[in-house]
Amino acid sequence: MIEVRASPPPSANQEEIRESSAGPVERARGIRATPAAIIVLIIGFAVTAAVALTTLALYNSNENRLLRVRLRELNLVLAETVPSVQTPLASAAALADATGGSAHSFRTFISTYVGPRQQFTSASLWRIEGARPVRIATVGAPPGLESRPKALAQFLARARRPGVLQLRGMLEGAHPALGFQFSTSRRAPVFAVYAESALPASRRSKIESNSAFSDLDYVVYLGSSRNASQLLVTNAGKLPLRGRQATDVVPYGAGHFTLVVAPIGSLSGAFFRDLPWIVGLAGALIALAAALATHRLALGRERAHQLAQDLDRIAAGDRERYWEQRSISQTLQHALLPDKLPKRAGLEVSAVYVPASAGLDVGGDWYDVVELGDERLLLIIGDVSGHGLEAATTMALLRHAALAYAAQDSSPAGVLENLARFARTRDDETYFATVLCAQFRLNDREVRVASAGHLAPLLLDGASAHFLDLDVDPAIGLRRVRPRYRESIAALPPEGTLIAFTDGLVERRGEVIDAGLTRLSVLASSTRKSLDELVVMLAHELTFGERRDDTAIVGVHWEQ
Amino acid sequence: MAELNPAHAELDITPSSEDGVPVLSVSGELDMSNVEHMRSAVASSGAASAGRLVFELSGLRFIDSAGIAVLLEASESIGSVSVRAPTAPVRRVIEITGLTEILPIES
Repeated sequence: MIEVRASPPPSANQEEIRESSAGPVERARGIRATPAAIIVLIIGFAVTAAVALTTLALYNSNENRLLRVRLRELNLVLAETVPSVQTPLASAAALADATGGSAHSFRTFISTYVGPRQQFTSASLWRIEGARPVRIATVGAPPGLESRPKALAQFLARARRPGVLQLRGMLEGAHPALGFQFSTSRRAPVFAVYAESALPASRRSKIESNSAFSDLDYVVYLGSSRNASQLLVTNAGKLPLRGRQATDVVPYGAGHFTLVVAPIGSLSGAFFRDLPWIVGLAGALIALAAALATHRLALGRERAHQLAQDLDRIAAGDRERYWEQRSISQTLQHALLPDKLPKRAGLEVSAVYVPASAGLDVGGDWYDVVELGDERLLLIIGDVSGHGLEAATTMALLRHAALAYAAQDSSPAGVLENLARFARTRDDETYFATVLCAQFRLNDREVRVASAGHLAPLLLDGASAHFLDLDVDPAIGLRRVRPRYRESIAALPPEGTLIAFTDGLVERRGEVIDAGLTRLSVLASSTRKSLDELVVMLAHELTFGERRDDTAIVGVHWEQ
Repeated sequence: MAELNPAHAELDITPSSEDGVPVLSVSGELDMSNVEHMRSAVASSGAASAGRLVFELSGLRFIDSAGIAVLLEASESIGSVSVRAPTAPVRRVIEITGLTEILPIES
């Protein structure tokens, strides 16, 4: 007997699958940044840092530019004070030249500029003759420089350069002041006008909060360098100025002022000052959010991957169980079928059982071939309706009953009548079975066949093939019908093959059953194979694809 | 009732009645996968009390041995069962399995 069996798929990697089953899902639950998230975070931070630094550089460059603009403005403002100092002194000097050094005229003219709330604290007119200058008139306080006659003489000696405002700082002591001298005399006698402006003792001066320069700290030094001892005035609380600053040297008469400015706060506004920080903070937050989103996505992907693996594993397990059960079913089926068929010189028997492709159950198809002696052979093939264990049990019952009845009366009609009667005694359940019973009498070259609703067998005689012409009677299991079976007798060639089968071999959806019968007949007669090969080929060719029903094929070949 | 489950062949059973005789109009394919539907349709058709049942099979494209078995069961339990207007494949199966007396065909 040849078995056509579906074999289980290779499952060599099952152990490996089981070992890895407890892994990644657990790990994925721990706090563990995914590589993708880390990359996103690094890129995010790098981009943020670059943008923030660019913003900062732009801000710094803008601040520096604005500071230089402000410095230039302040410079101009300071330079514009030169005339306000020089003009009264120059006018007084010209008046002195014109009046020959009239003290009265000088006092009358200059007194409007001198006083506690005026421009100068002291103004005096001097005649420069020889080494010692002579004071002609004084308005306001006595000149502070007079306490240092040598210095005074030196300073007034500069009157020999007429038309230029001279500057002298008196920065030591309790009453710091700035001294100015102007002369217009180009020939003797030389008259010089000297005036002093008091500086605040602390050198601190406030800029009005509504001033155009309220956003600046400034320091003014006398001279052309930032010499702390030459500090004239500042509004800064603490010196030297720190941070961003700009410096300019301003010519002032014959001297110079050094001007240093630093912004109080931000010149371009608090928003632009904070912009790099805002950019940095926002960028960092966005980078973190992106990293978090990436992390979640990566985890989601990992979980999906894991789920897919789990499903694969479950499916592999299911497949394994399916094939196990299917294998059990088939083992059972084969146990219910004969394990030995007659084989001797001149007689060959071959059978194939093909289970339904979809089910896990055993089926209701069976067959038997037994030798009766005297060159007689009995073939029984049957199909119990239904599927599963119940059908298989009924099948086993009918199979053994048929064999038992055949031992008493081996005529096909007799076997079927007894079987039908036997089936009627079992009134606890309903089942039907189509059964074909054929008795070969090789010596007489004939076969006697009875059919209980079963399809007629195919007789192959050389290259020709035809189905035996049978009287078909109703199936086994009907109680309302009297069990009467007719026998048909057909002649056999000296050498031939009879193929009996169940309906699974020829039934197809969408066609008349005759089409399936013709297909079988054409296929069987078109080849010259051994019986084993023929039966396997028919099973393979005609039950290919989805099989909803079991199929049994039995072939008997004889030669005389 | 149409079967959407692909594991089951398509089967549609419509009960009706003609002069007190229950009629089941069966269309689609009747095989091992859906014979239980047919079985319950027969049980709820009222044929057992009427003692008669007609299977109207003009829409039945395929029947296998399990389907034939349900028709035979109906014949056994009800008594008088006939088959009306079967398609060629169904008619041929009834003929070839020698059931024309048990399941008489009305054309």
